Formats: sequence, C-alpha cells, structure tokens
Amino acid sequence: MAEPVITSPHAESKRPFLTEQRRSRITAYTFISPFFILFSIFGLYPIFFTFYLSFFKWDALNPMKFVGFKNYDLVTSDPTFWISFTNTLIMGLMGTVPQVMLALLLAVLLHSGMTKFKKTFRILYFMPNITSIVAVTLVFSTLFGNNGMINWMLNGLGLDSVAFNSGWWGVKIAISTMVMWRWTGYNAILFLSGLQSIPMDLYEAARIDGANRRQQLFSITLPLLKPFIIFVSLQSTIGALQLFTEPYVFLGQAGTGSTRQEGITMVTYLYSEAFRNGFFGTAAATAVMLFLVTILFSILNMLISRGAVGDTGGKKA
Amino acid sequence: MKKVKHLALTLASIMLVGSLAACGGNNNAGNNATKENTGNNAASTNAPATEEASAEPAEKVELSFWTLGNVNYEELANEYTKEHPNVTIKIQNTGDQTAHHNNLTTALSAGSGAPDIFQLEIGFMERFISAQDKFYNLNDLGAKDIQANYLDWKWKQASSIDGSFQLGLPTDIGPTVVYYRTDLAEAAGLPSDPEGFSAAIDTWDKFAAVAKAYKDKTGKYFSDLTDLTYNALRDQSEDEIYFSKADGKFIGDTNPQVKKAYDFTVKGIQEGWISNYLLWSPEWGQGMSDGSFAVVMGPAWMAGNIKSNAPDSSGKWKIAQLPEGAGNWGGSFITLPKEGKHPKEAYDFISWLVNKDNQLESFKTKGLMPSIPALYEDPAFVDFKDDFFGGQQTAVEFGKAANRVKPVYYGPLHDQTDTFFKNALKNVIEKKADPAKEWDDAVKQAKTLAERS
Repeated sequence: MAEPVITSPHAESKRPFLTEQRRSRITAYTFISPFFILFSIFGLYPIFFTFYLSFFKWDALNPMKFVGFKNYDLVTSDPTFWISFTNTLIMGLMGTVPQVMLALLLAVLLHSGMTKFKKTFRILYFMPNITSIVAVTLVFSTLFGNNGMINWMLNGLGLDSVAFNSGWWGVKIAISTMVMWRWTGYNAILFLSGLQSIPMDLYEAARIDGANRRQQLFSITLPLLKPFIIFVSLQSTIGALQLFTEPYVFLGQAGTGSTRQEGITMVTYLYSEAFRNGFFGTAAATAVMLFLVTILFSILNMLISRGAVGDTGGKKA
Repeated sequence: MKKVKHLALTLASIMLVGSLAACGGNNNAGNNATKENTGNNAASTNAPATEEASAEPAEKVELSFWTLGNVNYEELANEYTKEHPNVTIKIQNTGDQTAHHNNLTTALSAGSGAPDIFQLEIGFMERFISAQDKFYNLNDLGAKDIQANYLDWKWKQASSIDGSFQLGLPTDIGPTVVYYRTDLAEAAGLPSDPEGFSAAIDTWDKFAAVAKAYKDKTGKYFSDLTDLTYNALRDQSEDEIYFSKADGKFIGDTNPQVKKAYDFTVKGIQEGWISNYLLWSPEWGQGMSDGSFAVVMGPAWMAGNIKSNAPDSSGKWKIAQLPEGAGNWGGSFITLPKEGKHPKEAYDFISWLVNKDNQLESFKTKGLMPSIPALYEDPAFVDFKDDFFGGQQTAVEFGKAANRVKPVYYGPLHDQTDTFFKNALKNVIEKKADPAKEWDDAVKQAKTLAERS
C-alpha cells in the first residue's frame, strides 16, 4: 500500500502494478482483514503459545522454566489422564451415537408425519440448545441427586438407588443424558433442513416404481442426507471430545468434585491442571494431545461415516 | 473518481481494523482505570513512597478495587471518599471465587490490568504468596504498627514464613462451630441449650456416642454430610495439614489428625449417622429445613447459608462449640498488587477499611466475623442477638470459637489434595468401598500430584 505505482520487473508488461483487478483485490482483503487480524491475535497466537508453553514449567506468576518433553512425560504417566481419556471416549459414544440416531428419527417424523405445528416443534427442538448449560446442568443435578427424582422413581419401582454422583456408570449415564438432551433437538433441526433439500419428485418416481417406505428411506433419504450425516457426526465427535461444562458443574458443586475419576474428561483434566493446580505447562501439553486426538478422531469419523452411509445407499457420491 | 472511491474504501477499512484492534486492547486492560490515572498523576506516581507522611493526596487519585462476594465494602468506600474528596474508589465485585482469582493471575502475568486493591480469599493465598514481587509489602507501608490489633493466626496466614513480607490485611474470618436443631435435640433427650449441648459433645468420642444414640433413638441422621464432618476434624490439625511448612513435602499420610478425621468420618458412615448429601446441593438445603439431620458443622459464614436454605426453620437453630477445638474455613485479605500506582493512598484506605469500627459494621450488615479480638468483648458486638438462632448472642459463640483456632499451614496444593480424601470418603459412603483401600488410593494420588510441583 505504501508505494502507489511500481513497474513490473517484466519488461514486456508496461502496465502499472496497481491494476484495477489488484486494487479491488486489495480492497477486498482489507475488508475481510479484521477477521484475520483478530483471529491471529485471539486464535492463532494462543494456539502457537500453547505449543510453546507445553515445553515449559510455569505457574503463570513466576518465571517460565524450560523442561523439554517432561510435561508430556508427566501427563502420559499420570493414570488420571488416561482415565480422563477413556471417560471422554465412553461418554462421547454414549452421548452422541444414540443422540444422532434419535435426532434423525425425530427429523424424519417431523418431516413426513407432522404437518401441523411444525414451527412449534422446531422451536421446541431447539430450546434445549439455547438454554444456558450451567442452568441445565443444575436442573439435572437435582434430578440425578442421591435423593433426587430419578432415584425416587427407581425406588418407587422397587429398584435400588443409583449413585449418579460417584458410580462408574452412574456418573456417565447422568452426564450423557445431559449431553443428549442438549444436542438431540439441534441435530434434528439440521437433519430436517437436509430432508427438506431432497426433491419430492424422487419419492414420487420411486413410488411409481413400487418402492415401499423402507426402500425409500434406505435408497433415497439416507444417501442424499449423507453430507448432513457426516457434518452432524463430525461436529458431535468434536463436541464430545471437548466435553467440559456438564461434568464440571454436575460434579463440581463444592468446587471439588470435578476431578472425580468417574467423570473427569480431558478438558476438565486440562482445566484443573491449569486453574486449580497452577501447572500451566502440563495443561498445555494436555491441550496439544487433545488437539492430536481430535484430529485423529475427525479423520476416523469421516472414514467411518462415509463408508457406512455409502454402503447403505446404492449411489456413491 | 474511481481511484478516490477505492482509496476512501481502503482507508475506511484500515480505520475499521484499527478501531477494532483498539477495542480489543481496551477490553483487555479494561476492568480498571489505571490507564486514566497514569496520565493525570505522572508527577506523583514517580515517588509515591517519599511523599509526606499522612496528609491528603494533593492531586485526585482513583483507586480500583476488586471485591469478592457478599461484602459491604461499596458502602464503606462511599463513606471514605466523602471524608477524602481527592480519592475516588472504583469497585468491581465478582461472585465467583475462581474467576475472581484467575482474573488477577491473568492480569499479573500479563503485566497490566490488575487493580490497585484486591480482595484475596484465604483458599487462594498460597498461589500468590510465592509471587512476592507482584505485590507491595504492606510492612513497608506501616502494617507492622497495626499487627497487634488482629488475631495472630489470621495475620500470619498472609505473612511470609519469616514474617518479613506481609501480603494482605485481615478482613473477616471463618471460625468453625456446630449449628444444631434445638427441636430435634430435645426430642432425642439431648440438652438443647448451647452450653449443655457443647458439653455433651466436648470430645469426638462423646460426639460419636451421642450421634449413634441419636440415630438409634430417632432413626434419623445426626451429621449432614461427610465433607463437613471431615473438615471439622481436619482443621484441628497442629501447624500443618497435608504439607510440611519447612520443605513443602506431602505429609498427609503421616499427620495423625488427618487420619483421625478420616477414620472418624468412616466410623460415622459405618454406624449410619452421617447422611449422604452433597455439599451445596439443593437437597442438602432442603434437609436443613425438614430436619433430616440434627447438626451442621461449619464456619461462621455458614449461618447465612442455613438462613437462606431453611428460612422456615427460624428459631429452631442454635450454635454450639465443636469438640476439642475450632478450625478456620475461609475469610479474606486485602492486598495491593504492584501494578497500582498509589500504594500509599491505597494503604490508607485499606487500613481504614479493616479497622475495628468497620469490621463491626461488616458484621452487622453482612455477618462477616471480625478478625479483631478486641471486638469480641465489645458490647456493640457481644450484645447482637440473632432471632434465627432463637435470640442467641451468636457473636459470643463465634468469638469463643475464633479464640480457639490454631494457625495451620496449607501449602499450594491443599485444595486439590483435600479433594482426593473427600472423594475417598464419598466412595465409602456411596459405593460401600473399602475405607483402607480408598485411603491408600487418596495418598497415592496426592503423592503423584505433589511430585509435579
């Protein structure tokens, strides 16, 4: 921008450097630059700083001390980290797989069955997602409390109380239920918009050819919904790996329960390393590993959902 | 023409970017007004300590003050600024402890954005007391002269081990007592007056016997939950709890009081007189109001929680002394981060804020238990009667407890380590886990954590 006119090094071109095209390009980039500038300050810089920080020992107040790969050693040799890793995977599966299926079912129902109150249902579906997670979790904490409503109902049916606050599966069931409640409706809306993008004449043609509802579902709906299924499951996978607020609030009512082994996730582990223990180096190392795990699972997820949906449909995309 | 238009657009977008970036910068440093101050008071900031002794600041001084939770410091600050027209105090209050202290950590490590005055909770003391270069030493500003006014153990919580560095001035304290339901005690044939009740449980063995008898007679729980039962004994440790004062090593497995606290809670679980509520849960609050348990062992400020959880049970509660001594839970300090440019003016204000009259005021309006022992005999404090506690002179009881508190060293990982033991107890009560194995696991986890620091 500093020099208005620069002649091109190529002798044959006598055109000025700032051609009309170039100028409009510069204008365009300048216009979108706020995003990139802000992103590099608040997004990119922290990312690189995290990598850098993972090689140092630091409590955020005293000077940083270089320790090489020691932080990674400490994290990978900590059994709690591996518990948090398996917890994240288990709760991820428990929270997303049934949830995505349920969302798809709800979307199909809403799309085909219901004609009345469609808008009302859509709003109802979406409500859980815009409610504050902390508020949601507090409500669910009451339901899943030791003397809460769910145990009361179980007792009423003649069953024993479940230790939702400390049982290995109890905690996971409680947390996955919160995740499901929050995301099912949201994903159903995404699926619904996918369903609405499928042209109706395909179904008409299929009906004329004598295809039944089941055949229509597997040969038209699912294959054409594939991009949405991939998107939803990818998003859910990433969301599941970043699970934090639900276990943190649900188990952390005294500010202490969040590191309970039954419900600790990778992000709660990271958080407590940094902000409770003051070990920012190991927290950064955890973040880097979480990043790698997320990439790995995203790739896996793409491969699986591509394969699975591709096989059920006759058409390869 | 087109050229001009392009240029204008480009300039506009550059300005837009610039202003956005500026916004970001401001917000970052944003919470306080140090920036405004540095410009106006450049002259006075350069040599704050060498100014005249205690006269009014000649120029206008603005102090930012981050307060925590339910305090009356805003009202007190207004009063102060009326008497000192050249001082303005900007208060920013946060309810969330962790966020409050994390904000300061961020500001201190970034080197900008910290307030002139910061209210520091004892639970976070260890994090900051090692970062002495980030705070003013209050002893340099005259804190030594007022040390004798405050409870010795409270003062020492904010001192370096050799006492030369003073990080903060004491505000309220949290001496622990027993809150009990008089109606339930009477029904079970226990003495319902505070003296009688305290005497009936004056050792932990007696407490356990009373609790078991209560359970056998009424079929109800005696103590509300594992955490508070454990805390009551843990806080009676001698000098140190989980970490050694001398070298910071983990000693929780060899501290007899920690083991005693653990075993006592396990005994309560096994004999069935500790109920399985979760601390702070709504059901726990409900239990207070419908009498599911007879006692709550907690600090002075727990009175506020009981009142708000169980307003209908007003008049049925009283306060007695814990067996074998008291502990302390909570209470804060007022500190001066070094980024502040007016340490002298700030110190004048904070030493006024925590003086005798104002601590009495804070007790009356917000129930904050003073850290000035002289007040415990002051009629204005002693004669205060609380209808919720059946017209009991609660201040007397809290004062008694405060004088029984022995200072303990916590260490930077106290809270996390404590969690391991609390979780072990929770496993014992909820999963019927083996107490000995849970103890070993907790010790192992604590050692793993301690190795990292």
